[in-house]
Amino acid sequence: MKQVVCKIDELGPGEMKPAQLGPIRVVVIRAMDGTLHGLAAKCLHQGGPLERGRLYDHTVASSDVGEYVMDSDREILKCPWHGYEYDIRTGQTVFDETRCLQTFTVREEGDEITVELGVPGAAGQAGSARASA
Amino acid sequence: MTAVRAQPLVSQAKTQDVRIIDTDVHERAELYSLLPYLEPKWRKYITDFGWQPDRVLPYAQFAAGGLDREDAKLPDGRPGGSDYNLLREQLLDEYNIDYAVLTGWLDASALAPGWPEFKTALMSAYNDWQLENWVARDERILGSVHVNAHDPQNAAREIDRMGAHPEFVQAIVYIGDKAYGDPYYHPIFEAAARNNLPIGLHHSENSPTALGFHRYFVEWHTLVPQVFMSEIVSLIFNGVLDKFPTLQVIMIEGGTTYVPHLMSRADQQYKELRSEVPWVKRMPSDIIREQFRFSTQPTEEMSPEKFLALIDGVGSEDLFCFSTDYPHWDFDSPWEALPAGLPEGLQRKIFFENAQHLYPKMPALRAR
Ligand code: FES
Repeated sequence: MKQVVCKIDELGPGEMKPAQLGPIRVVVIRAMDGTLHGLAAKCLHQGGPLERGRLYDHTVASSDVGEYVMDSDREILKCPWHGYEYDIRTGQTVFDETRCLQTFTVREEGDEITVELGVPGAAGQAGSARASA
Repeated sequence: MTAVRAQPLVSQAKTQDVRIIDTDVHERAELYSLLPYLEPKWRKYITDFGWQPDRVLPYAQFAAGGLDREDAKLPDGRPGGSDYNLLREQLLDEYNIDYAVLTGWLDASALAPGWPEFKTALMSAYNDWQLENWVARDERILGSVHVNAHDPQNAAREIDRMGAHPEFVQAIVYIGDKAYGDPYYHPIFEAAARNNLPIGLHHSENSPTALGFHRYFVEWHTLVPQVFMSEIVSLIFNGVLDKFPTLQVIMIEGGTTYVPHLMSRADQQYKELRSEVPWVKRMPSDIIREQFRFSTQPTEEMSPEKFLALIDGVGSEDLFCFSTDYPHWDFDSPWEALPAGLPEGLQRKIFFENAQHLYPKMPALRAR
């Protein structure tokens, strides 16, 4: 099962678009480094529509009380409802890495972005693809 | 091809077509939109002198959309709950809600007590605005009578005035930092009982924790049930429920999991210290079971077993009434908030039967 999401130039870094893959609602995200990622768009908590959430190019991190550090190694999709934070690359929640959204393979094919079933990077699949310049 | 493991769409309300009464839905006014409903002599205090409601909460709300669900805010920047059409689409139609009880935005009771005349007038304006812009617009929407609790005699008059309207089903009093069991506030409860209206108590951004306002919002939000416990204890031990034995009170947006602890502790204290409050004639847990109800939101993730243990802990299936808190960020989805697999009879009670019993003026459910 494969679905065209949009034209390549319609999804810039730090942006996301919804797609419907059969019965599954998917959100396709382009990270700040240009890579593409696909996550199930139904929040693991109460099913909030993740494509209506907020993308952040960083995680707020710190080990010291009162200190806020922007860690740009980890980009986050925050649920529009109660704010569960998901790592856009792995689908894992920040508070518990065992709770994980289903991920999908996203590719650039011709001038289009497609999303399909399958684990990114699995054998025989391109996985998350870097945008061509 | 890899098999699709679709995420669970467990939806008891959806799959079983359960009827739903939502006991906490927040419509939102702009202050200026109240002006046509406000007596002319008060208008300049908003238009010329810039009166604004006081807000004590010192934090941002760290959800994606601040106070609101990110997807419930209007494209033009207005906050969630400002637009009937969006509320209808995202709540009433999306979840096939039978009745939504409005709980509002601006409530003078939560504000600092000063300047009672103005705030009493403002609450009357709010009620008239609510009637014309929401309640009269959709038969699924029911109103709450807002009052200024710090002006109890006039609050009682407002309950008499709006309580006569068939679609205003409760009087609502927001919680600031005052304990409402004090006899000073009793005219409000008397008026509610006289009008056969339950009282809804709802916390606010001016409700402190037991230690005031801690450093972080997550602390404050974790501790919101404290203020509900304070009010329940105040109402019970100041004799409000014994004085007005037909009165029903619903605690709105404190959740449910604190209730067994409160019942147990209050009962023990009553056994030990009853002579201090001889006007209290029943065990606190019995008073709670007979005269208090609790809206379910915000729920905590829990297994069906844990939820049933909670029901066991309060000793009744009749206490909890489903609520979403739409459009706020901690909205509970009717399809997902309660654990899957609860007995059907219990689901029916929580989703609508308990609310039907709570609100005597609520119309019967329409046939589908
Ligand atoms: S539904 Fe996403 S955080 Fe609750």
